[in-house]
Formats: sequence, C-alpha cells, structure tokens
Amino acid sequence: MISMSTRKGKFIEEGWFKDTDEGIMLMGSRCEACKKVFFPKKEVCPECFDGELIEVPLSKQGRLHSYTLSVMGIPGMETPYAIGFIELPEGIKLFSILTDCKPWDEVLKVDMDMEMVIEKIRQDESGNEIVSYQFRPVNKEIK
Amino acid sequence: MREVAIIGIGGTQFGKHTDRSIRDIAIEACLKAIRDANIKPKDIQIAYAGNAVQWEWGQGLSIGQAVLREIGVTQIPITRVENACATGSCAFREAWYKIATGACDIALAFGVEQMTVADSSKMLTIVTGRQFAEREGDMGLSPPALFALLARRHMEEFETTKEQLAMVAVKNRKYGALNPDAQLRNAVTLEEVLNERMICDPLTLSQCCPRGDGAAAAVLMTKELAKRYTSTPVYVAASVQVSGTYPDDQSFTFFDTDVRAAKAAYEMAGLGPEDLDLAEVHDCFSPAELVHYEDLGFCKKGEGGRFIEEGLSDIGGKIPVNTSGGLLSKGHVLGATGVSQIIEVVRQLRGQAGERQVEGAKVALQHNAGGFMHTDTGTCVIHILKR
Repeated sequence: MISMSTRKGKFIEEGWFKDTDEGIMLMGSRCEACKKVFFPKKEVCPECFDGELIEVPLSKQGRLHSYTLSVMGIPGMETPYAIGFIELPEGIKLFSILTDCKPWDEVLKVDMDMEMVIEKIRQDESGNEIVSYQFRPVNKEIK
Repeated sequence: MREVAIIGIGGTQFGKHTDRSIRDIAIEACLKAIRDANIKPKDIQIAYAGNAVQWEWGQGLSIGQAVLREIGVTQIPITRVENACATGSCAFREAWYKIATGACDIALAFGVEQMTVADSSKMLTIVTGRQFAEREGDMGLSPPALFALLARRHMEEFETTKEQLAMVAVKNRKYGALNPDAQLRNAVTLEEVLNERMICDPLTLSQCCPRGDGAAAAVLMTKELAKRYTSTPVYVAASVQVSGTYPDDQSFTFFDTDVRAAKAAYEMAGLGPEDLDLAEVHDCFSPAELVHYEDLGFCKKGEGGRFIEEGLSDIGGKIPVNTSGGLLSKGHVLGATGVSQIIEVVRQLRGQAGERQVEGAKVALQHNAGGFMHTDTGTCVIHILKR
C-alpha cells in the first residue's frame, strides 16, 4: 500500500492527509459535543465551542453538487480542467478537481456519485508534483 | 440614529490609469466630491479610504493620509478600510455610521484601486491567499469558476439557461455604452456573448468583469446640515453590513449573506423591494446578478432567469438593475466599486443620469458583495437610498 512517505510528489497540505489501515485518507475533525464534522481540521469547534475535536477520516464517496470546466486556469495547472463541489455524507461541501471524466459535458451530471482518488493535481514553480485529493465518477474503469 | 444625507459625489473614469499614481487617481475623485458638496476640505471631520490591495509594491500604506494631505485634509481621524470587493461600500458605511451615531457631522469616504499594474499571474494568489489552501485557489478554483459552479446548480434546479445568463452581459453593456465613466463602452449582442471565448463553462468573456483602475468618493453629512449646502440631498434610509455563514448544508444557488443583509435593510428602511425604482447590484459575473434578483426579493427563488428574459430588470421594467453598466461594463475596481455604485444611485435620484435616467426615481438599492469564501461571500453591504 502506498503511504505518504513513499508517495511521489509533495502533498498540497501535509496536515490534510494521514496514513491509515485503508491507505492515505483525507482527514477532518468531528466535534464530540455537536457531532459536526469540519474540513480542514479546526482548532476549536466553530459551531458550539464546547466539544473536544477528534480527528476523523472523511468519506471517500460523495455526490456531485455542481461542476464546471475551467478553460482559464490557475498557474501550474494544465487547462482545461474540471472542478466541482462534492457533498460528503458528513455534511461537508468539498471543493475538488474532477478527474477521469472526459468528455466532461457528457460524463458529468449534477448529483451523480463520485469517489475520491489521491493523485497529482499540478506542478509547482520548481516542477515538483503537487498531490491532493480529487474525485471521479464511480464505476468509471480505472485507467 | 441621526439621519444622514449624501451631498457630494465624484469619480474618475474606470479603466487603465497607469500613467498616474494611485494617489493622483484618488485626488481627482475626492476633489470632485468635495466641490460637488460645496464644502471646503477642512470641513471634513472624519475620513475613510477604501483600498483593498497593494497590486504593486510602492502603492504605499496610509493611502488615506497620502491622498488627503495633498488637498489639505489633515489632523482628523483617517482610516483605511479593506473588505475585498466590498471595500468601497464598507468605507462609505463607516462614514455613515460615524455621522448617524453622532461622532461627527461631516465625513468623506473614498475608494481607490490601481489594479492594471499587477502581474496577472500573481493576482489569484493575492486574492485567495496562498497560506490557506482550503480557500481553494491552490486547487484550481478562481472567481469565475466559483460563479460557474453557482450557475450550473441554478441551471439544474431552476432550468435557468445559458442564454438568460448571457442576457445579463447584453443588458449591462447596453447601459455601459451610455455611461462615460465605464471602461467598456460598446454594446454586445446575445449571439456575440454566447460565441465568445469560454472562461469557465458556461461563462464567456463578457460575462466576467474586467479589472481596472479608478476612484470614487462621497461626502456625507447630517440631514440638518445638508439643507444648508444642497437642494438635492439623497438620504441613507438603510445601511447594513453582514459577513458570511459559508453554509455546507444548503444548495449552492444563493448567497446567505445577500438574504440576511436584504432582510435587515428592508426592515431598517421600512421599505420593501416593491418600493424600489432601481438597483445597483454586484454583477461581477453574470450568474451573480440573476441570483441577487432572487436573494434581494426582486423576484421569487428560481425566477432570476425569467426576470431578465422578460425585461423586468431593464429601464422601463419592474426594477431597472445596473443602469451604470455594472461591474461588467465599468470593470471591478475593488476599492472604488462600492462607492461608484452609490454615485450612480445618487445621480439617478437627483435626475442627473442623462440618457440612462430612470424617470422619477425616488428609492434605490445598492448591493456590494466582497470576497468569495467557500459557498458564500465574505461580506455583503446593502444601502437603500432615497431622495
């Protein structure tokens, strides 16, 4: 199993991810008092301020709330690229790059099921691979 | 709270002003507003300078003092205000608040920005902040992309069409062509907008506001004093500022900031959307304007597309929106945008809007949103002005 230390490239934010028995997972925090889940992890519960925050892995499946094809892109990313908001069962809307979805305007549908993969998203100024979470349609054959 | 009047307005043309310093751009607007108010610079008791970002090192700190020193406004409290795209409205609101609460009787608010000097590859980093990757700029999100996501969900839930989105650009550029202060002064057709270069699907180039350089200023005073200076005062019936809640549990087809600010503003003014003769709203990207129609109660939820298609936001319609040409024509000059919206509203209420005049306008709403953050805006400011 690939761990964070053996994975090629640089994680966009080391603290977002963690090695677990199920591989590298995207982490959030859950408030033990109000049960709300947050991403990225918080210092205190912004909702109730009362509870202890527990680090929890976030679901790898979610629904596509909305999407677009960004023809004009941010520096370092190959254009065009698809992006969207993914609704996780925890009640989080996670912004994400979308992958394995060509042709995007035929494949992508609002509310479709998506799954997380952890892959290169772009290169930084020095040519290092930047790795982060991405989502792709479920049931898409793995390349 | 005391009643406050706007008695002086002044702005520069919005566009490229790279041959002048940011200070000179602001001075032009401030002097125009002071002369329009028929006061002397030394009459000003408190001033607020809206300036969001140093787009190039050297634009300097203490921009308020640097500008006002040149025209003889010294000694008084002068403060720079920043609230992203709502910077100008927040500067204006602080000036209003100081007078309304009795801290002073005469105040100046101006906004200025010189953006075209910026290295465009660094702009997004400046806006989103590289230290906070979850603000999503580092993962491929840009302002047009966020509004494209808003559009897609709205299209899915309410059958809003890409043609209706494009109509926002067509309408606003039609009015921009009539506004000498606008940056883009040519009208565009629906066909042209739909066939232009794609930025973030479904948003084509004209559906995204350009950046720019410029300044806008306003002089405010108590209602009592205003009677001595002008025969055409415009009163602030409501001033509301809120910050975002950034909801995760609601459909991304609206801005929570808009809804809360509008409710509070109508309540404060004792007026409703049915009383409005016109509105200037934050049309940074075409879907924003349609969503604002709904959030501000101009029409029901989901009917923004039909509102524009039926011409209800045109001059002659139910509530003419963005007769200045909006951000889509003027350009979005962060610090100056909010004050420039107020200038358009004051011109309309004074009957000085020329070819784009809304006949007999008495009550108007100004709406400025600032700083996108997740599923909301960071700030929303609404003013309701009346003559």
